[in-house]
Amino acid sequence: MISTIRKLAFGALAALAGTALVAPAVQAQEKFKVFLSMSYIGNDWQAEAANMLKALAVHSSMIDKVDLQVQVAGPSAQKQIQQINAMVRAGAKAIIVYPISPTALNGAVKNACEKGVVVVAYDSIITEPCAYNVHIDQKQWGIKSAEWLVGKLGGKGKVVMINGVPGTTVDTLRIEGAKEVFAKNPGIEVVAEANGMWSQAVGRTELSKILATRPWDQIDGIWMQAGCYTANSMQSEAGIADDKLRPCAGEASNGGRIQMLPVGTEVDGANGTYRPMGAPRWSSGSQNFTGALALKLAVAKLEGKEIPALTDVAQNIVTNENIKLCKEGSWAEMKDGCNVFQPAIIPNPGWFASIYSAETPEVGLNAALVGQPED
Amino acid sequence: MMAYSEDSREIKTSMAMPSLRLGRHRGLITATIAFIVLMFVVSGLSDVPLGYYDISQMATSGATLAIVAMGQTLVILSGGFDLSAAAVVSLVNVVLASMPEPIATSPALMALVGIAIGMAVGAFNGFFIAILRLQAIVVTLSTMFILMGISLLVMDKPGGMIDASLSDLLLGDLVTDWVPMSVALIFALLLFWYWLKRTKLGLAIYAIGGDFDSARSAGISTRLVQFLVYVIAGAFYGLAGVFISAQTGAGDPLVGNPMLLQMFAAVVVGGTLLGGGRGGLTGSVVGAYVLMVIVNILLVLNVSAYFSTVAESTILLLAVLSASLHRKSVLFKNLRQLGGRWAARREGILPSQVLINPKKLVLPKSGKAEETAIPTKADPGYLVRHAETIRYALPAYICFVLVLIATQFVLGNTLLNLNYYNSLIVLSSFLLILALGQGTVILTGGLDLSIPWTIGVCGILLAGMVSGSNVALVYAVPLVLAVGLLIGFLNGFGIVALGLSPIVMTLAMNGILQGVALVYSGGTPDGFAAPLLREFMTARFAGITPVVPFIVCFVVVAILLLGRTAFGRRVYAMGNSERAAELSGIPVKRTTIKVYMLSGFCAALVGILLTGFSGQASLGMGDEYLLPSIAVVVVGGALITGGRGSYVGMVGGVILLTALQTLLAGTIIPSSARSILYGLVILGAIIALRDRKN
Repeated sequence: MISTIRKLAFGALAALAGTALVAPAVQAQEKFKVFLSMSYIGNDWQAEAANMLKALAVHSSMIDKVDLQVQVAGPSAQKQIQQINAMVRAGAKAIIVYPISPTALNGAVKNACEKGVVVVAYDSIITEPCAYNVHIDQKQWGIKSAEWLVGKLGGKGKVVMINGVPGTTVDTLRIEGAKEVFAKNPGIEVVAEANGMWSQAVGRTELSKILATRPWDQIDGIWMQAGCYTANSMQSEAGIADDKLRPCAGEASNGGRIQMLPVGTEVDGANGTYRPMGAPRWSSGSQNFTGALALKLAVAKLEGKEIPALTDVAQNIVTNENIKLCKEGSWAEMKDGCNVFQPAIIPNPGWFASIYSAETPEVGLNAALVGQPED
Repeated sequence: MMAYSEDSREIKTSMAMPSLRLGRHRGLITATIAFIVLMFVVSGLSDVPLGYYDISQMATSGATLAIVAMGQTLVILSGGFDLSAAAVVSLVNVVLASMPEPIATSPALMALVGIAIGMAVGAFNGFFIAILRLQAIVVTLSTMFILMGISLLVMDKPGGMIDASLSDLLLGDLVTDWVPMSVALIFALLLFWYWLKRTKLGLAIYAIGGDFDSARSAGISTRLVQFLVYVIAGAFYGLAGVFISAQTGAGDPLVGNPMLLQMFAAVVVGGTLLGGGRGGLTGSVVGAYVLMVIVNILLVLNVSAYFSTVAESTILLLAVLSASLHRKSVLFKNLRQLGGRWAARREGILPSQVLINPKKLVLPKSGKAEETAIPTKADPGYLVRHAETIRYALPAYICFVLVLIATQFVLGNTLLNLNYYNSLIVLSSFLLILALGQGTVILTGGLDLSIPWTIGVCGILLAGMVSGSNVALVYAVPLVLAVGLLIGFLNGFGIVALGLSPIVMTLAMNGILQGVALVYSGGTPDGFAAPLLREFMTARFAGITPVVPFIVCFVVVAILLLGRTAFGRRVYAMGNSERAAELSGIPVKRTTIKVYMLSGFCAALVGILLTGFSGQASLGMGDEYLLPSIAVVVVGGALITGGRGSYVGMVGGVILLTALQTLLAGTIIPSSARSILYGLVILGAIIALRDRKN
């Protein structure tokens, strides 16, 4: 109903403008009805990805083409199935989905495809062949991160692994990749393993449990999907000097990347352990722009172009060699290679900094923060 | 179907008073009306009219929840509680998705395997609950952990294949363009239920749910009935697992788990009373479909994502509330009372307005007579006086010592390591505080499910307000604690004044708070803890973190609060019998509100400490604490139905579970085995707690 009102309002505006310029063309073109079905909205990653997607939908290149509606299914696959069915019923031309399960939605997705709806999944996976997927290669993530850690340790040392949510594809693939690498290096010993649930808070709890019986001097390196920021902070609290921090391979939180900057780098708004420490890090994230990219691909498909079934998004791997502070965070600035943002702009260290893609010049820092596209 | 008698116990009374017959089904009738209204909203507001295809699709996607809710209803009618239901669905799904060729292509065999797994789990639960007389909620909680572990063993990530023959059978039509298979299946199950209800067993289920002891005195074989209830319910869960497998065509070890809370919501919306004795399976089916149709409502109304949990919770509250709107409902009783008081005040005859000189009873003062009347006994001694407390609290402590020894053996560096004990207490602090709130609520016979997002909201509020300033703590901490008290007050108010069941009220509150947190933070909470708060949780002075002495004081105060104050005694009295407590002059309503305020306060305190511990607040930070907060209370010897348990025991439960997790985190055991071990230890602890008198 609301969308009808919006349509009417837009129609009126367009009619007004039409007296001056090319509005008839705008009016003539029916907007594509696109739905976003999110799963869970309880963390920064999801919020940023959704913001970027929403920002793209109101960018000048898209606003005349798409009419976007956002719905949340929560953690239940049953609900997402129902939701996708309802979206098809409501006349969706395309459905962008963050799938709760790679397999459980297959029936609903297949049905949507049969009705001619374009279904694009971002970040996570849908195994139904008619769906389009946009994500990074998670097994490669595991391999690359572990290879860096092994190299940093010189092939020898005790490693602690903090994983994600057990039973999910992303977590399993990452662990698989990392363990393959560790197995090839007999000098590497995994001494403890816990489920960090991809949350900085849980990661801290789990690492504290491990540290209850194992002091830091019996740990040489950390492989932590989310929470290297926390691991470095805990070492700092335990009185370990900045230049003695253990190497840590993990996700792309802004706090963790600020810590990678050389000691003495000038940043605005640093506080506590959210400061440049010169921490030895490998940082790469599940890219936050995949949602926006999924929308772009869906629209391209609706306009009659061909899109690949799987868009394997390249990783932006950031190490101490290529870490660079952004001043404002515009897309153009990120294109020149900056990859971490001022703490004064991002007060929350758990915020994900992996928002740059060469494919999405429409969205920069403001898109991820408040859903506002670039000019 | 609507007017069908759901409650066999009423047959006699309904003949005498025909009007009561309808009243008894108010829950079912309201749920049905709500469902019809919602369906009209959906079809009225969408551009395309609902066709057969849409209806059949909706019937199919709601079927799994409906079937699993039917099984749960059966358990609840008998006075039980089954937390393992959702885990059975996941297990059946992954087992079916990895079945070998000859079975996989035969739908009948697949269905049999699924149902058999469900019944086997039911028999496992039933053995411990009915034969060993253990508390249903803890047995099924441990079963849940064990099953989750087994599911991960069978399949560590989503995958596998379900043969299309199963989908073709269950997702198609029984009569083409007329009756979808899912509807036919649910009707068949309902017919089974109507038949079951007419049998002796059906009558016995209602009887033991209504009053267990009376049922036993009346000669009902309670053990057998309870056992059978869990087995039959297991068959329903298994069938739900088969159905979801057909629907999804593949396996996912996590697919069923989020259905746990939804399932209870469906049961309650359908008009079944938690605690047993009243309600029926028909209502739960309607309840499940009401919940599923909400998804469509949110879509046609284009409700903003942040408000979806608020909208869901509001619909849940309205559905349950409207079912309880009748002359005898709590709300109307309260309104009448309020009206009465108002009238009395205007006439000036309220007790407080009338000058009454209460005459106190004066007993003859004769010290000697008293002495002779009561022969002075020697003090029976500490152990005898506290025998019951020790009896229920001790097993947790014994298990804790065993875990300690195991940790020393496996990881070393434990028994004489101050750092270990310090870390253990810091990590336990959150659950120690939550255990007081949740424990007190449970002692009165309630349950607080709003804990996760109370923690979340309070943590986000605090981080946002202080933003790293120590000075701001001075006003932020009291303010956030006040917010916790307010949340608790609203919970208590809903329960006492509106007569809502604690599960519904606090579940809805949790959803509303989630919406509040999302809107307030815009999806990404900012701000961070003040340095002082961070040091309070993480710094070390002489090897000890400042929060440790604080927690020790907290524990002492909590023990005194429950054991030595009038408030504590009222809590126990209410848990044993609310009616008796009220008749003894205990202000039951006021105390109930206070109990939920205490729980809200504790959750807020945890939100603050957790923010200090992590340095920042995150949206889902409270999610990991709901089930543990219940588990520690029960492992510590408390009775989930209230009246029995001590804070000392709960402390034992907390340190036992934290020590166990610490042991597991230090190893490289895979998560599947961890989950199984965790479940087995909880089960072991309550077997040790077993009341041998029964």
